[in-house]
Amino acid sequence: MTSFSEVTAERQIKSGPLSHVSVELGHLYMEDFQAGPDRLRQQFAMVAPWLETVRRSWQNRTPGGRARISTCFLIDDYFSRFSTPDELVPMILDAAAENDLVIDYLARESACAEADGVKLAKLVEDRLVPDPPPGTHSWRPPPHETGWLANGTRSPVAGAGQAMKPQIRWEPPTQNAKRGHSIFVDVELWNDDNRGRTWSCPFLAAVWQLLRLGLLRNEGRLPVQPVQVDGGFPRDWDELPPVVKLNKSATPFSAYTTMSVLSTRFLQVELAVRTILSQVSVDEEVLKQVLSRSTDEDLRLEEELVDRISYVFL
Amino acid sequence: MLIMGEVRTGLLQNSAEIEERDHQTVLGLLAGERVRMSRRPIVYAVSPDLLTGVDCRLPSASNARIRGVGTLVSRATITGGRILQGSSYVRVVRGEVNHRLPWSHYLARPGVVEVLGKVSAPDLAGGFLAFGPPGEQLDLGSVSDRFMDVVQESALLDLRAPFRSDRTRLRWVAETGEPGVHFILGESTGRTLRLTHHGEFSPAVVDLCEDLALHDWLLTALLTIVQRARIGGASRPEVSARLAPAVDTLLHLWMPGARIHPSLAPLWENLERTPGFSRQWQSLVERVRDQLAVNTLALLRETNG
Repeated sequence: MTSFSEVTAERQIKSGPLSHVSVELGHLYMEDFQAGPDRLRQQFAMVAPWLETVRRSWQNRTPGGRARISTCFLIDDYFSRFSTPDELVPMILDAAAENDLVIDYLARESACAEADGVKLAKLVEDRLVPDPPPGTHSWRPPPHETGWLANGTRSPVAGAGQAMKPQIRWEPPTQNAKRGHSIFVDVELWNDDNRGRTWSCPFLAAVWQLLRLGLLRNEGRLPVQPVQVDGGFPRDWDELPPVVKLNKSATPFSAYTTMSVLSTRFLQVELAVRTILSQVSVDEEVLKQVLSRSTDEDLRLEEELVDRISYVFL
Repeated sequence: MLIMGEVRTGLLQNSAEIEERDHQTVLGLLAGERVRMSRRPIVYAVSPDLLTGVDCRLPSASNARIRGVGTLVSRATITGGRILQGSSYVRVVRGEVNHRLPWSHYLARPGVVEVLGKVSAPDLAGGFLAFGPPGEQLDLGSVSDRFMDVVQESALLDLRAPFRSDRTRLRWVAETGEPGVHFILGESTGRTLRLTHHGEFSPAVVDLCEDLALHDWLLTALLTIVQRARIGGASRPEVSARLAPAVDTLLHLWMPGARIHPSLAPLWENLERTPGFSRQWQSLVERVRDQLAVNTLALLRETNG
């Protein structure tokens, strides 16, 4: 028996450690910051009982009650920059501690666009496989030519070249997987201007979910590794690692499932996130890795990505 | 239930063989994913797999209205820095429900098209291999073609091919069963292949179909060059000049079964017995070399006066 193989001819996909659930305790935007530390305290006070519920429910599901639950918090440094890490992070941690909450990991929103030199948003954009309307029998222009992604067929519109033609009759948009009636969703993924490309909030939030689910790879490697920081936060956001590990004894950042406890004002964003995630093709090898690990732990994982993501809206 | 695919094969539109280091750029169709390469016994590079979503009628020999929803897998390959292939395939299975499900259901099954309603594998295979007019039916070939075009659009290529050649189209269907292979050469550029193999489907079956398509294209291209050379009709220097691209570009690329999984090798061997690909190739190569030798001798005689 002879055998011959060449390293570059084979795919090597690394696997990463996983918790059972990654709980997002909140999202911080400029307006929240401007509202002052009390707003944050109130938010954490509302979140705390839900975290406890998640914890109990997972303890019941896992053998010996050994549920691995990690918590995370996302700060926007992409759409607007405010304060500095050395000012803001201790304020968030204090507000959490007052409500007996431990934030294990802190992430910067701009990390969802690019982290440690890896263009994560582009990585995910390339993996979009658009939901095909009935009648799609071949290739279609990809969403990265328009920057929009829908879950169905848009209403027809008269183009510039059709100005002299009879008016196009209005027709309703339709959802591809409608049951009776449609809920048509059309999401803007990005826009371009003279400063370059700006990814939309739902698109970055979709990347955020994929990171938390541990489903992204760059050339087979995990694109983001949390970095432990013990106090002493920098003055510049760019100097803060994309994902910071704040709690030494935290279970892994990524998890089989995610739970986000969010204000209801994020409801629309999350509908858009789910519309995007329903159209992302995750590497088959990575999916198999995660599935076989969960099976080893006697855990039944949902087959579809979007079914591994849940929310509490407050 | 049934796997069907279509491979399109053609010459990379570049005057020279592309260099090893350029494959990553030319075939890098997906951010964050490397182009896989092997260098023995011939330089071969394959793009990452890409998915295309479809929801359409499936081919049917009896013209039945069969609707399928799911994704196709496609990839592009370059062999010997010269030959470009676009290849797409799909596994057709009976869906569990008769209505369309949310798209995330289909994305959890990459490369699978689920049929809404009844379907028979022989009817589907018959319809697909018949090369009917494209119409509204699933069109694997145009997806394969598209990926070839995307590769050809690379700025690294000078779009000057060393000679004119047609893209060939190979449609194949594969099923589990007693191993067997049935290859039909169509009148123009279409070929069909029916394949049965032991065990579950694996991408090794796709490798075999691509390898077969590649060698069928090589034979077709060499035959065309020899015909265009007008041996016996044109002057000796003209014949030599017309045969030269074959020597420069094609002759060293013949390596049937080089990357075939050992379990599928007997199928290639069957095709080597009938129709005997290598036999025909060898005879053509000898013809080209004999012509060049005779013409060189004639030239020497002329110069030595």
